Order: sequence, then C-alpha cells, then structure tokens
Amino acid sequence: MGALQGTCAYLILAERKISAWAQDRIGPNRVGPWGLLQPIADGIKFLLKEEIIPSHVDKLFYIVGPAIALSTALLAFSVVPFGPTTPPPVLLDRRTDEMVEKSRIPLAAEEREHILSLSFIIQTPKMYQDSPRGRVWPQTETEEAYILAADRAYSNAKDIDSYEDRLEAYNSAYNRSPKDYNLGILENIQYVIAPHIDIGIVFNFAIGSLAVYGIVLGGWSSNNKYSMLGALRSSAQLISYEIPLGMSVLGVMLVSGSLNLETIIDYQVKHGWNILYQPLAALLFVTSVFAECNRLPFDLPEAEQELIGGYHTEYSAMKFALFFLGEYTHMITTSFLVVVLFFGGWEVLPWLGLPGGLGGVVVKLAVFAFKMCLFIVFYMLVRWTVPRFRFDQLMGLTWKVLLPLALVNVVCVIFVKQFQLTEWLLLPLSLGMLIFIAALTLYMPRQRSRAPVRFSGHVASGPPAYVHDEAALD
Amino acid sequence: MDFALSTYYPIFLFLLVVVGFAVSALVATHLLGPSRRTPVKQMPYESGMDPIGDARQHFDVKFYLIAILFLVFDVELLFLYPWAAMYPWASGPGEPSSYLPGEFQSLVFWEVLVFLLSVVVAYIYAWRRGVFRWR
Repeated sequence: MGALQGTCAYLILAERKISAWAQDRIGPNRVGPWGLLQPIADGIKFLLKEEIIPSHVDKLFYIVGPAIALSTALLAFSVVPFGPTTPPPVLLDRRTDEMVEKSRIPLAAEEREHILSLSFIIQTPKMYQDSPRGRVWPQTETEEAYILAADRAYSNAKDIDSYEDRLEAYNSAYNRSPKDYNLGILENIQYVIAPHIDIGIVFNFAIGSLAVYGIVLGGWSSNNKYSMLGALRSSAQLISYEIPLGMSVLGVMLVSGSLNLETIIDYQVKHGWNILYQPLAALLFVTSVFAECNRLPFDLPEAEQELIGGYHTEYSAMKFALFFLGEYTHMITTSFLVVVLFFGGWEVLPWLGLPGGLGGVVVKLAVFAFKMCLFIVFYMLVRWTVPRFRFDQLMGLTWKVLLPLALVNVVCVIFVKQFQLTEWLLLPLSLGMLIFIAALTLYMPRQRSRAPVRFSGHVASGPPAYVHDEAALD
Repeated sequence: MDFALSTYYPIFLFLLVVVGFAVSALVATHLLGPSRRTPVKQMPYESGMDPIGDARQHFDVKFYLIAILFLVFDVELLFLYPWAAMYPWASGPGEPSSYLPGEFQSLVFWEVLVFLLSVVVAYIYAWRRGVFRWR
C-alpha cells in the first residue's frame, strides 16, 4: 500500500510535468532536482495545513466522505495481480465431489472416504503444501497418488484428458518444465494482495462503484450549492458509465470463460491479446474508465470553470488529499485492468510466450509496470487533447452510443462462441460496427431541439446559437 | 467451484489497513494543523458571494430516472456475469472443458438471447419516453 501511495504522489508530479509540457511551461522544479521531491513536500503540507470544518456541514458525513473515497479505491486494487501468482488457476481441477464419487476406483472404503473429504481440487503436485484454500490439498504422497489414480480412472472412463495430460499440455504450451515449479523465492511470492479470488473483476467493479458513496456523501454533507451539483452530476455519470464498462468486459469473460484476472491473462497468452479480437470492447472499456475516473473529457463533477472544485469545494488539508489520492489510485487500478483485460497482462508482445525461470518473473513485472505507465501517460495526454463535454452530451454518449454498442458486441461474441466460429471474425465485426457508428454520427440529420431552452433574459431573442446542435446525439 | 471464506481473509486484513490509514491521516492532520477559526472561513465558499438559501434544494427528476435505469441494467449485468463465466468455451491445451452438459448449451444460448431482447425492449421504451434527453 505504501508503494501505491508513493506511486500516486509521483503520478501527481508526472501529471503536473506533462501538463506543463503540454502548455509549454516548465512545471514544478524547485524542490529537489527536476522537482522530484515535490510530492514529499506536498504530503507534508497536506498534513500541516489548517483543517477547516465549516459550520454549515453535516459533520459526520463530511468526515466519512473522503475516507470512503480513498478506502474503496485502495480496496478495489486488492484483486489486481501485478505479477504471476502461482499456481496458474487454469490448472485447478473443476470436478465436484459427486463426479469423483461416480468414478469407479478400486479403493478401500476408508481410503475413498478420505479422498472425498479432500473435496478435490488438485493443484500442481508437490507445489504448495499449505494451499491458501487449506483443506483441498493432498497432504502426503500417498494421498497424492490416490488422487491421481482416481483422476486417471475417471478420465479414462469418461474419455477426457486426465489431470496429468492437461498439466503436460500446459507445461509444453508455456515452455515450462515441472522443475520450474520448485523454483526459488521469486516464483513463490504472491504478487497480489488477495490471491485466488475467483470473482476477481466483479469484486473490483463492486468495490469501485462504492466510490460513488464517498463522492455523494462529501458533496451532500458540504451543504454548498457547487458541491451538491458536483455530487449529483458525478453520481449520475458514474452509475451511467458503469453499464458500458461492465458490458464491454462481458465479451472478454465470454471468450476466456473466467472472472479471475489471471485466467484472463493466461487465456491471452495462449490465444493472442483481446484487443486484437475485440477492439470495440477495448475502446468502450477505455472510454468508460475515463468517465469512471472523472478524467478530463468527462470531468464534469469537478469542472473548475463551472463548479469551483465540484464535490470537494469545501474540503481542505488531508481530507482533500484523501479525495485526490483516491482518484489517482483509481487511475492506477483501471490502467492495470485495461492492461490485464485487453493488452495481455505481462506478456511482452502477442504470441511471444512468457519467459520462464527466475529472470522471467522480473521481466514480467517490468513489462506489466511499463504497460501500466503507458496508460497513465495516455490518460494525461488525453487530458490536454480533448475538451470537456457538456452534461447532456455526456449522458447521451453513454446511454445512446456506448450502451447499444456494448450490447451488440456481446451478442456478436455469443454467436461466435456458440457456433464455434473463429475468433478472428470478431475483429471485422468490431471494426465494422465502429465505422458504422462513425458514419452514423457524421451523416445523422441535425434535428432542431423540440422544446427550445429558454434562459431568463434571453426569452425574446430565442435560444442561443449553440442550442441548435444539442440534439445531435438524440 | 467451492467457496472458502479463508480466501477473503487477505481482503479483510487489507480493509483494516486501508481504513486505519485513512483514519490516522485524518486524525494526524487534525492534531498537527493549526486551527484559527474566523466567521468567513466557516462560510460556504461560493466564489466569494454570500450564499443565498440552503444548498439542499429541489433537483431534476432526471437523476432519479437515470438511477432507476441504472438498476435495471446493472441487475441485468449481474445475471449475465455468472452465465459468461460458465459459458462453454473451446478447450485448448490445459483448459478444462465446459461446465454445461451438451444438451443444455443451445437452450441456454437462446434463453440468453431472449433475455437480452427483453432488456432491449425496455431500453427502447425508455429512449422513446425521452429519459435520455437532457434539457
């Protein structure tokens, strides 16, 4: 977590430097060489500045708001694997007790009972004596032998690949030999805060969407009109963009057949990156992620020119810092997610395979971090490239454009999977939809707004000129 | 896949650490920072204007509509997630085969399409009623 905080702090510095570069300024350069100590100075200032709690606020919620904003952002990070955790979840045996029961193995009654009590999830032999799942691991070599025998008998009866066959295929596909599993410390570190969470990405979305509470509580309890407006806009925006976000991921889940982030990476290592098959889903996901993070083309909740600071107008000192840190943590998490879901996680280039052994782990970590940083830089460049939307455009974009596109994308994936078509079919489908929608927006007749907006003081002169364009997204 | 609460212990632990960090940061700034209160500091900051009236006024009903629609679509997504994870996928080397028995596969396929269709009907209805039009 400390590393995460540090990264956040330096991201803020990077953001300021890139902003400066985009605007032809110098940026922070006073504290330390090239301003490198600036984040530390900022942190100290956040701690030492006066903490103003205005008299008109709802004190409890006012204090709880930023705490929620930060904790949800940090908690959402806990399922993101930033390095390979072993064993690969692909290897987990998915059979139930019942299925084992049906496999006729010539074992004594008590032995058989014993095997069943293990509830049967085989992992790589001799790999983890104390599995995180505790009770499922065969404790002795005899048990292991029994389990493997049971598995063989069952597989032969059902005419499917046995566990050992699959393990061998897996090893050859990944260029690994069984002895790699017994490698040293680096291979045995769990590079994730909470390993083996099967619902991975759902957990991430669930916790991530709790961040709305922090913002709404902060904005509402401030009892300031600007904060209130910011919070309202923000809640509407966050929940609206959650739908295309979740739906674009659905396509990825369908092809990889799992919610576990590592399984998704494993799938991409074998089949090529998801962006190659589903560029549309990737585009939808990135767009929604920008909105979820309140990044610039979508930063309506804190539009400085309109709302001062938006929902954190009334906040000062550390409480403001918590909102800020939460936002940047969210950025890091989502960049990791984009890399995991669409850009092959820690694979260097598509179809290159994974480097094995001890050095391989370092390479994987470096590649993953590098890709993540590329996305962060992308975030920051987009900030200075695309101007801010209007609120009606913002809502129109998600409900009228992103949502139907995401639905169509999911339906395409279902058809491809159901009729066993090649996944490459998804690429032209995706691109075709993109071109179609682009053509649609270009050639759509601009209708006049049905009920012209009237502004007080402008009644006689009619709506201002820009209102005519308002229905372009209708 | 069986469920073991012990898988989630690291998350609980992390939650404790995170909340501890947030609380300690708030307490630290409260103790360390100066506190000199003036009436002006205690006022709502509205660009230097004296605030007129309370901030908690009526707001557009559109926000409620959006929230309700969000519920519809998000619950739909929640139904689709388990299906997506269980959906039959091509078994390559080292990959387990499908969860679903063969005879159910096409049934589930059509069922999901009908489900999506019902959602699309609701979506078109909402669009026609002008829920997505902001004025």
